Amino acid sequence: MKTNCETVKNSLGAWLDGELGHADAEEIRRHVEGCPSCSGERRRLERVQVVLSGVLETEASRVAFEPFWDGVRRRISEERPRQARLWEWARPAFYPQRIAWAVPVAIVFLLAIFSLVQYAPGWRWGVNRGNVAAVDSIDGHGFNVAVLRESKTKTTVIWLFESQEEDDEASGEPTAKDPAF
Amino acid sequence: MDLSDWELVQRCQNGDVAAFQELVAKYYRKVYMVVLGILNHRDDAMEVAQEVFFRAYRSIQGFKGGSAFYTWLYRIAVNLSIDFQRRQKRGPTELRETMDEAVDNAEGASSANDPFLDLQSKELGQRLVAAINELTPDHRAVIVMRAIEGLSYKDIGRMLGCSEGTVMSRLHYARKKLQEKLGPYL
Repeated sequence: MKTNCETVKNSLGAWLDGELGHADAEEIRRHVEGCPSCSGERRRLERVQVVLSGVLETEASRVAFEPFWDGVRRRISEERPRQARLWEWARPAFYPQRIAWAVPVAIVFLLAIFSLVQYAPGWRWGVNRGNVAAVDSIDGHGFNVAVLRESKTKTTVIWLFESQEEDDEASGEPTAKDPAF
Repeated sequence: MDLSDWELVQRCQNGDVAAFQELVAKYYRKVYMVVLGILNHRDDAMEVAQEVFFRAYRSIQGFKGGSAFYTWLYRIAVNLSIDFQRRQKRGPTELRETMDEAVDNAEGASSANDPFLDLQSKELGQRLVAAINELTPDHRAVIVMRAIEGLSYKDIGRMLGCSEGTVMSRLHYARKKLQEKLGPYL
């Protein structure tokens, strides 16, 4: 390291803080000892440090522990009721009698929901609500016609098929009473 | 990490408030000094220092002992102080009124026999506080951490979330600024 005054002054703080490597530190030490300007800079840096820590230590020595701890403890105890309140609110749900009631109630509720899904047309947790599919069967002129209508996509599918049973019965004429007409 | 600190922390993690009280007793002055150094306001410093310990208590379950307890604690102190300072934007402080006594204590031994030096030191203390007030919170934090605890640049960097190089450059800048402001009094 080139030990001119400018370089030394830039590294003086780090040197005083013990943050330089051994070789650099030794070089700066030698320079400072022989240089009145850098020596004065060192003294000024140290003085700032001493005065600052002295001021803060004096201030801190005036703070008594008890009032300080009271303030911390107050904050801690103010925090606790929030947790306590949450527990107080939730705790009754965990009483054994209530759990004994809650289990069958939950089962009945689930069964009700399941039944609704099964038997209420179009009631599928709101996902396919309003989407109705219907199948109509029409019997006419020796053919059976089945029509599937699906309301959401407006799809209509028509099947035409022959009834094997009717062929066997050999009564090929459709009846006018067929409700499909 | 200091074994007794770790033992106390573990007891705290098991819900022992008395153990936490011991930790507070051990570190409250240091934490107060750090906070006061950054905020330069006695009442605010008291408020924030207590909040530091409260936050430490609240999050002590998450402390795994990866660093020293005081490093962790000072990190909370510095972060809270800088946040507080940025929110408050206070002017010059009330600290100056205590400067005479503080400087007497700090330099009493060296200046007791020299009234001129004594007067100059008091003046220096007052100017120093005013000069520190003009630094940014980040610069104030490094100079205070270094002045109080003599912490290494590595530790300071870890607390402030910056590199050792940044700590060194902030310290250099802060000291240079202080010397510019205090020139005739040093």
